[in-house]
Amino acid sequence: MDCDAFREEMMDLLYEEAAPAVARRLDEHQAACRACRDELSSFRRLRRHLASWRTPPDLGRVPRRFSSARPYLAMAAALLLLVMGGLALKGSELRYEQGRFAFRLGRAPEPSALSAALAAQEQRHRREIDALQATVAAMSEEATLRKVQRMIEESEARQATIVSAGLTRLEERTEARRQYDLAQVGAGLSYLDGKAGLQAARTTELMGHVLQASQKR
Amino acid sequence: MPRASKFTRSMAPSDEELVEQFQNGDSSAFDVLVRRWERKVQGAIYRLVGPGEDVRDLSQETLLKAYRGLGTFKQEARFSSWLYQIALNVCRDRMRRGRGKSYVSFDELSETGDTGTEPGPSALELIEARDLSRQVAAAVSALPQEQREVVVLKEYQGLTFLEIAEALDVPLSTVKTRLYRGLGQLRQELVRQGVRGGTPVPAPTS
Repeated sequence: MDCDAFREEMMDLLYEEAAPAVARRLDEHQAACRACRDELSSFRRLRRHLASWRTPPDLGRVPRRFSSARPYLAMAAALLLLVMGGLALKGSELRYEQGRFAFRLGRAPEPSALSAALAAQEQRHRREIDALQATVAAMSEEATLRKVQRMIEESEARQATIVSAGLTRLEERTEARRQYDLAQVGAGLSYLDGKAGLQAARTTELMGHVLQASQKR
Repeated sequence: MPRASKFTRSMAPSDEELVEQFQNGDSSAFDVLVRRWERKVQGAIYRLVGPGEDVRDLSQETLLKAYRGLGTFKQEARFSSWLYQIALNVCRDRMRRGRGKSYVSFDELSETGDTGTEPGPSALELIEARDLSRQVAAAVSALPQEQREVVVLKEYQGLTFLEIAEALDVPLSTVKTRLYRGLGQLRQELVRQGVRGGTPVPAPTS
């Protein structure tokens, strides 16, 4: 073995990774070559110097429980989505807006629209009753009955139309609001998720399922 | 109780077994891997980027990346090599972004672990050891990145040449060449700083 070959293998000898046969050849060479022997011993000395650099004992611990924290959070997210889905189906709302949750039980009535319609209806009824009272004296009983019957039918039809239109509008508005809220909750969860380094994709998928389920309703 | 401890050791699942458990759905296996490796990873990061706040962040980032990647990790390399590879990449990214320079603050080095806590060395020896520790830290930090990585993984993390080759994805011969050059430069730098070979500090006890 020459000096070049010794240098190539010297690291194995220095870190005691040389195969026994190689170690023997290296030892033979350094026994006969002072320069290589000095170089190896200077590296050994250097290693003792290097050992003086220790890591501080208070490096700080990395938060643990990767595996356990994540399923809990994922389960919590799933549970939240389920509850929200259920509430949405029942017409209740759980909203996450401006950093806080808001909860409303039952489908929200639209008081202004309904009460206006009802007030108009009541006024119409009163007018009709007054008109009936004015004319009833001049008409035969049978004719009066027919007329009253017709008026009642007309009134019922009008009322049904108004109520149905109001309900449709209400439903559309509530549905749009619910979709928007769900998207916001989804975005909020994704943000939290991302911040904690969690599975945003999984949450999005869950969100998709919930949306799908609520639309099938 | 050497027999009992040997028995206990043999009962502990290997890294490979834990990886397999994790990939079969037992995510708690990762906790065991973290407990086993986090200190070592932190030590490597500490020496690669220098002491400071970043060490904890970078360790956290490394372990998170490992958690995310472990599901698809094919055990062609050792888990340890793979984990160190992630840590190295995290450190390189951080240094590329310039947020953490490879430097060592001497003030930070006043706490140098258990150096000198053993009874025996005189006050002068303790001071010398602390000075040497700072000089070594500065010299390692001044190495070119490729050499520093190999020196840290070999000298301080105790990886085998093969494990380092896996972690760096380079041939074995390249690892040894970089180490040889790195050690040569360290030796030169310490001599330049006046560290003489005649009075090395005591070899580490742990």
